[in-house]
Amino acid sequence: MLKAAQRRIIIPFLIPALALLGIFFLYPLIKTVDLSLNEFSRTGTMRFVGIDQYRLLTGDPAFFNSLKNTFLLTLIGSGMLFPPAMAIAWALSQRIHGERFFRFVVFAPVVLSVAVVSLMWKFLYHPTLGLINPTLESMGLGALAKIWLGDPSTALAAVTFVSVWHGIGIWIVLLCAGFERLPTDVLQAARIDGAGEWRVFWSIMLPMMLDLMRMLAILWVVQSLQTFAFVYIMTGGGPFGSTDTVGTLMYRVAFDQADFGYAAAIGVVLVVVMLTVAKLLNKVMKRDDLQY
Amino acid sequence: MKIAHKLLAGLVVVPCLALTACGGGGGDGTNQATAKAPDAKSWQQDIKGGPIEVGVLPAVGTPSLKFMEDIAAGIEKDHAGADLKPTFANTKARPALEQRWRAGDGLDVDYTMFDGTNPALLEWADSGALLDLKPYLDQVDTSTGKPWLDQFSPAVMQFMEHPATKKIYGVPSELSLQVLFYNAGLFKKHNITPPATWDDLTKAADGLKAAGVDPIAVTGLFEPYMGMWSDNIWLRTVGYDKAHDILTEGKGNITDDPGFLKGLQMLQDLRDRKGFLKGFEGTDFTAAQAQFFQGKAGMILMGSWLVSEMADVIPKDFELGVLQFPTVAGGTGDQASMLAAAQLMSVSAKSENIPLSLEWIRRVTSVETQTRRANEIGEVSGVKGVASPPGLPGISDVVAKADRLQASYYGLMESKAKDIVYPEIAKLLFGKQDAQQALDNLDRGLRRVHGN
Repeated sequence: MLKAAQRRIIIPFLIPALALLGIFFLYPLIKTVDLSLNEFSRTGTMRFVGIDQYRLLTGDPAFFNSLKNTFLLTLIGSGMLFPPAMAIAWALSQRIHGERFFRFVVFAPVVLSVAVVSLMWKFLYHPTLGLINPTLESMGLGALAKIWLGDPSTALAAVTFVSVWHGIGIWIVLLCAGFERLPTDVLQAARIDGAGEWRVFWSIMLPMMLDLMRMLAILWVVQSLQTFAFVYIMTGGGPFGSTDTVGTLMYRVAFDQADFGYAAAIGVVLVVVMLTVAKLLNKVMKRDDLQY
Repeated sequence: MKIAHKLLAGLVVVPCLALTACGGGGGDGTNQATAKAPDAKSWQQDIKGGPIEVGVLPAVGTPSLKFMEDIAAGIEKDHAGADLKPTFANTKARPALEQRWRAGDGLDVDYTMFDGTNPALLEWADSGALLDLKPYLDQVDTSTGKPWLDQFSPAVMQFMEHPATKKIYGVPSELSLQVLFYNAGLFKKHNITPPATWDDLTKAADGLKAAGVDPIAVTGLFEPYMGMWSDNIWLRTVGYDKAHDILTEGKGNITDDPGFLKGLQMLQDLRDRKGFLKGFEGTDFTAAQAQFFQGKAGMILMGSWLVSEMADVIPKDFELGVLQFPTVAGGTGDQASMLAAAQLMSVSAKSENIPLSLEWIRRVTSVETQTRRANEIGEVSGVKGVASPPGLPGISDVVAKADRLQASYYGLMESKAKDIVYPEIAKLLFGKQDAQQALDNLDRGLRRVHGN
């Protein structure tokens, strides 16, 4: 228990952080809720309409479509992200020749801007002039060639892949840090007891890293629920809404249609969804603390 | 919760609530005092130096921007202390610029703030954010001996003028016409007739296909450009006024006029003939346009800006042809009108240097500047007496044949109905539905959006 004197000294140290939290998170959040209760004209004049925007939202198929796509993107993305990130991080945590070079290669896309990456992949995905389909065709795999961004069944996955390709380096670095924290004596003991590398990974490393995995999963969910830039640049939400996310819908409503109240209502619902999902994930994946 | 914790939470939440309560609402673009407008008769004598920010449409690094910068430099040279800052004001920059207008800090001269044919774009003028240009346009221009207003083509007046108040809130720096471009060299080589009617178009498509060329370049990644096809077909089969009323205003239903279904069936027929570029579904508009100029497609329906936009990739020996959108036999719509947008420059009523802002729009719209722009940049002018750009052969005939210019996209781009109409057209072009299904889905969606 903290003594009264200790408590008194903690408060001044907390104030800067609380001030920042208030200015950059709570104030915008409260302001957004305030906006969502109003109807806006193009010139910015507003009229209080109570919860009308939320009522409209419940009957808006575009919103539910974007919500579905956002969750799909999160799900597909986690499948594309975590297995390879884990495998690469594991490989990089071994003593391999050229480890620094591989680390550089894996991390390199992270430093590129989202706009550059999106445009580059947009051209790579081009059905006839791009790189992917002609390569598949030249390898005799023409049947696998698709109109990646123009087919509603592949567009979302194609955009998600680019988002994962761009950011995977960060996740690998975090996972590498997790692998490096593992106590070598426990791993050595397992190996001496005859456990193979797969067994060590599956039965020892993974359980010991569950806390980290929980944090990463929550971070991924929060990040992907906010997806905007890749979709906006690569498909604009198309074809026919198949890649429209809550972020792109919100942007379109706010800036194309100048309907800031409705966009704010979408934003508020997104915050509630994110907090709920994060809380649920935290609860479901919570394990007893493992001290090592 | 302990008292200390409550105190801490209060420390954060209470100021936030107070800030929100005091923060007021959104601006209305009128939260700064309107500047005193100069006398219409003597504004040119009132021009003084100082900074102004003028919106420009061309992107950085383009010859078109250099052209505009030269005009600005000319004004700076003529008026001591004048400092004109060109700011990119095209599509992608609009959200940020409109937000500046809402905060009362709009550009001194800006684009897309007004369009007399689009009810969604009358609000800025109605709120008093824009300067009424009519008193200035009514003055006799000493260089021509006629009112300044007389130099603009009558066809663009509907865009410039507020339909209710008859005040003028914008002057066109250029016109964007939706025209059918075709590869004249390719057509000659394969003995294909440039299409004047819809039947000609389908024949041309078949001819090009037989010659191993994809008939029509179109992008599948930007739905409004696919929508140009339905927009133009409906112009012919339904007519502008009726289509605009139903699609954008929600006055009536899309099932009321059989011309809508007929138009969709024509589009379906073109699709089924494999009329569009191979892989168009995943092709970006820049790539689609480039493929047209590379001879991989015979035609493209696009705005007249195509030539200036793609100047760097057009082969020297490329023979370009320009046509009005084909007429439709038996169509009950407008057979001679064409879809167009006037790129209007509006002056902020709050500009601190209105005379200098007026001087900018006067110079940009002068016959001399417009003629140079047409010749050097390839822009189509809304000013009388300016010859058509040499890079757009036949555009003069196309415009001369048009009995009326109608607003591109029917004003859908600022409407919620945009998210209904163009995705359904895209589905039709992608082969995901037939014409009847497209009509049913459009009907359902439009009824929901317009509440009718």
